[in-house]
Amino acid sequence: MPRDVTMPQLGMAQDAGKIVAWLKAPGDAVTKGDALFEVETDKATMEVEAQASGFLTGVTAGEGEDVPVGAVIAQISDSAADDAPAPKPADAPAAGDDLPPGKSVTMPQLGMAQDTGLLVNWLKSPGDAVAADDLLFEVETDKSTMEVSAGFDGFLAATLAEAGQEVPVGAQVAIISADKPENPVARKHGDAAKSAPTPEPTAKAPDAPKQKDPKPATPAPPAAQTNGRILASPKARRLALEQGLDLALLVKAGHAQPFHVADLETLRAIPTETPVATTAAATCSLTAEISDDGFVDFIPWAAQNGLTDADALLAGLAGASLTAPCVVAIDRFGQQHRYAVPAGRSLSAVGPTENAADLILRDLRGTALRNITLGAADLPVLTLMTGAQGLTITLECTSAQLDAAAAIQLLTTFAGRMEHPLHHLL
Amino acid sequence: MTKTNSEDYLRMYRQMVRIRTFEDNANQLYLSAKMPGLTHMYSGEEAVAVGICEALTDDDRITSTHRGHGHCVAKGANFREMFCELLGKEEGYCRGKGGSMHIADQSHGNLGANAIVGGSMGIATGSALRAKLLGQNDVTVCFFGDGATAQGLLYEVMNMAALWHLPVIYACENNGYSEYTKTEEIAAGSITARAEAFGIEAFKVDGQDVLAVNALTQKLVARCRKGEGPFFVELETYRYHGHHVGDINREYYRSKDEEKDWKENRDPIVRFRGWLVDQGIATEAEIEAMNAEIEEDATAAVAYAEAAKYPDVSEVDMHVYAD
Amino acid sequence: MREITLSQAVNEAIAEEMRRDATVFLMGEDVAEAGTPFKVLSGLVEEFGTERVIDTPISEPGFVGLAVGAAMTGARPIVDLMFGDFIYLVMDQLCNQAAKQHYMSGGKLKVPMVLRTNMGATRRSAAQHSQSLQALVAHIPGLKVAMPSSAYEAKGLMKTAIRDNNPVVIFEDKLMYQDKAPVPEEEYLIPFGVANVKRTGTDITFIATSSMVQVAEKAADILAKEGISVEVIDPRTIVPLDEETLLASVRKTSRAIVIDEGHQSYGVTAEIASRLNEKAFYHLDAPVLRMGAMDVPVPFSPALEDVTVPTPETVAANARRLCAGEMIHAA
Repeated sequence: MPRDVTMPQLGMAQDAGKIVAWLKAPGDAVTKGDALFEVETDKATMEVEAQASGFLTGVTAGEGEDVPVGAVIAQISDSAADDAPAPKPADAPAAGDDLPPGKSVTMPQLGMAQDTGLLVNWLKSPGDAVAADDLLFEVETDKSTMEVSAGFDGFLAATLAEAGQEVPVGAQVAIISADKPENPVARKHGDAAKSAPTPEPTAKAPDAPKQKDPKPATPAPPAAQTNGRILASPKARRLALEQGLDLALLVKAGHAQPFHVADLETLRAIPTETPVATTAAATCSLTAEISDDGFVDFIPWAAQNGLTDADALLAGLAGASLTAPCVVAIDRFGQQHRYAVPAGRSLSAVGPTENAADLILRDLRGTALRNITLGAADLPVLTLMTGAQGLTITLECTSAQLDAAAAIQLLTTFAGRMEHPLHHLL
Repeated sequence: MTKTNSEDYLRMYRQMVRIRTFEDNANQLYLSAKMPGLTHMYSGEEAVAVGICEALTDDDRITSTHRGHGHCVAKGANFREMFCELLGKEEGYCRGKGGSMHIADQSHGNLGANAIVGGSMGIATGSALRAKLLGQNDVTVCFFGDGATAQGLLYEVMNMAALWHLPVIYACENNGYSEYTKTEEIAAGSITARAEAFGIEAFKVDGQDVLAVNALTQKLVARCRKGEGPFFVELETYRYHGHHVGDINREYYRSKDEEKDWKENRDPIVRFRGWLVDQGIATEAEIEAMNAEIEEDATAAVAYAEAAKYPDVSEVDMHVYAD
Repeated sequence: MREITLSQAVNEAIAEEMRRDATVFLMGEDVAEAGTPFKVLSGLVEEFGTERVIDTPISEPGFVGLAVGAAMTGARPIVDLMFGDFIYLVMDQLCNQAAKQHYMSGGKLKVPMVLRTNMGATRRSAAQHSQSLQALVAHIPGLKVAMPSSAYEAKGLMKTAIRDNNPVVIFEDKLMYQDKAPVPEEEYLIPFGVANVKRTGTDITFIATSSMVQVAEKAADILAKEGISVEVIDPRTIVPLDEETLLASVRKTSRAIVIDEGHQSYGVTAEIASRLNEKAFYHLDAPVLRMGAMDVPVPFSPALEDVTVPTPETVAANARRLCAGEMIHAA
């Protein structure tokens, strides 16, 4: 039976060796112990001995070649005639694996929360001439199917995904070359060539303990606000949450932080009614009227994209109109839910928080109320009501909270975003 | 008590060839990147391990070194469990937890290889202390290299062994090199004189002559059993490979001519084979058949080990504590 | 119940086990006629002879190495390391050899040995005879670590250690050898990994080892007069650690101070505090405090040495602040 001749591992940290010279020619008779070839590693040059007697056959690596450790480079056979090439290592790159040169076409990002696209169909074949406007392939996302154009003039030199494959957004799916390719490539996604093949171990090493998949990129939490953050012990925080107590009331009542379990007694004694501001600061009241079509259409569209909490959308649009990052409290029928709105425009990054609010958004849509003047509270308050054109928005605040320019800016920006929510995303 | 019958001689020859064959295969496994980690070849020193271990019973203990495959084979271990251990497989002597540098084969009295140079001198001497204390008749042999004579532990334990007349034989395999450095550069004075300073009888023997090693060991083991221990033996020998597999560029510390001279003129297997044929104990044909059979055994054991299972990952925190 | 000293308790435990099991023997520097500088082992050589109570040369790595080999081949040695500070000398034998044999051999070899040594400052012995180095060995998988806090624990833990099939390191506080405690005449063992709740309380938990158990109890007495109710727990072995008992207490009291005489940084207190933080976080009403020895070599002068270790007063002061909700480590 022929014995494999492999590139030996000579150093402790060696991956490959260079064949300096073959000391036997194919077909030569060799005796176990004969110097067979010369190898250069990072450390030294040395002769490698034959490990069996027979005839040198099936030489696959030439002089000057770098060969990975463990790769079969020849065989020692019982007969000089037995010159079948040594079998390639299992995952050696296929011949002609180099991709043709050209411009890269990638899987486009079509939705807001889309990671991959399903390649439905190629509309051109490898080797075809294409113009930049030509439709190249069809993609299906969670929402819809659409056709993607080539983007470059030239030839479709390679298709790197097959119809029916899910391909990550941004991954290369095609190559458009300037010249007509000699050997156009058609390949599945994931069949990328490896630069250095590693030999298949005889018995597969056990899988390393699998690392938990890294969490999908979650939106960054809202930046910590030193002024908004309440200092409380883990236990006090947990009990407050379980018992529906608002630690912010302790802050408002002027109790010293950090809070401990004992402070929860004090907290229970504080009336939950927010005291009406008694400050003499001047009160502003502004009203805007807009159509509600944009927002009404936006809600189901957003829901399809994974944004199912309509209050988070409201908070995001309002918060972005103030100075994000900030916390917006949505107040409806006396119940408040607070949302942290981070800097930037990502609505998916808006999430619930326990931190103190910077702005209250009171939602009175669907009530009979059409006009409201309640006077300024502790925080600026935006009130949404059903109006003649669809939606009426009122802003009430003190001049200490927002000066006139800031108040006008807040309300106009928010009204604009409510009217055209999609613009907010652009 | 010198071994006088042919069977014993042939067994000694067989054990030396088994060590050489094991190492050739281990070397190949390493070179072909099938064996993880690092390993140290015993080739060239076979007469030391075999000459000594053939004078011991399974009840007698040995402690071994990082260059320990030879001791393990000589003390009676099987190829299959050894190759499995080298490849980190479940059926290895240590369930894949020790590897080349920690093979232990309790069933034949091998207390284990030790990857700390000189690390097992205390263990060997303690084993001898236990034998004396519990009135047991076994002897312990502590294998170590010339490099380990630089460890202070040796002098602490030789002192106690001499004070308490413990049944331990310190076997110093002097292969001329302490890792990549000539022994004369790291050891001042005489090696045997170190033991003699404690009043321990010390001997120097040709470590390439299995009969000489065996005859001396037989004598010392018998005297140990009578309470006349400890003893110290310096065995002059040579390692054919580098300090470890991968130590290929050796010319800065020893010449190729020197390696060639030891291999061609002082090889323990070649010498003993010639003697066996001269004495009419075996024919060339019989010896070739024995060699071929051992080679086949090794090939089969390697194939078995390559195909064998790795330990289940759940074993990772087993054996930290004994029940 | 009769009261005996911690020293007598250790002596009794060893004598009982040596009578029970002929493979048990004792070795170390001046363990025989001298009975160690602390006289803990006096009288044993008279009963068991120099064969089983062996005076060794001053060769700590050597005789600990011998104990490892003897243990691997069927004996049960007890090694006496005169001062805990000498652990540094025997690290290879203890951590590379004894601790790893069972694992490296895939469970075939066992090392049933006991290394008894001591710890504790304020004996005016200066930097190389006063250290409490339990954290060093507790860090090494394969070693068990016991820390008796009284004569009762010293006897029960020693007997368990001698019967254990693993290397066990026992740290005795060298200042407590003459301290008396009730110890039953009849045989008993204290299992490893079972903490002892010394007193129950509701406001704060003190987790204390060895000598620090006394400190914790005195601090608890002071606080009791002020209306602060303290639970005091002695883990007794830090490897294995009875995590459940500690966690249950802290879930109840919401506050904890961990007290151990080793250096505070990277120490036993840090390990236990960290586990409480990981597993009882939402039950904590205050940060878990570590109280260890100061991160300085132990000084000689009494004026300096006494301030390096936790005292009942410093423990009580910290407890008051935690219970009052003060911010202990405000930035």
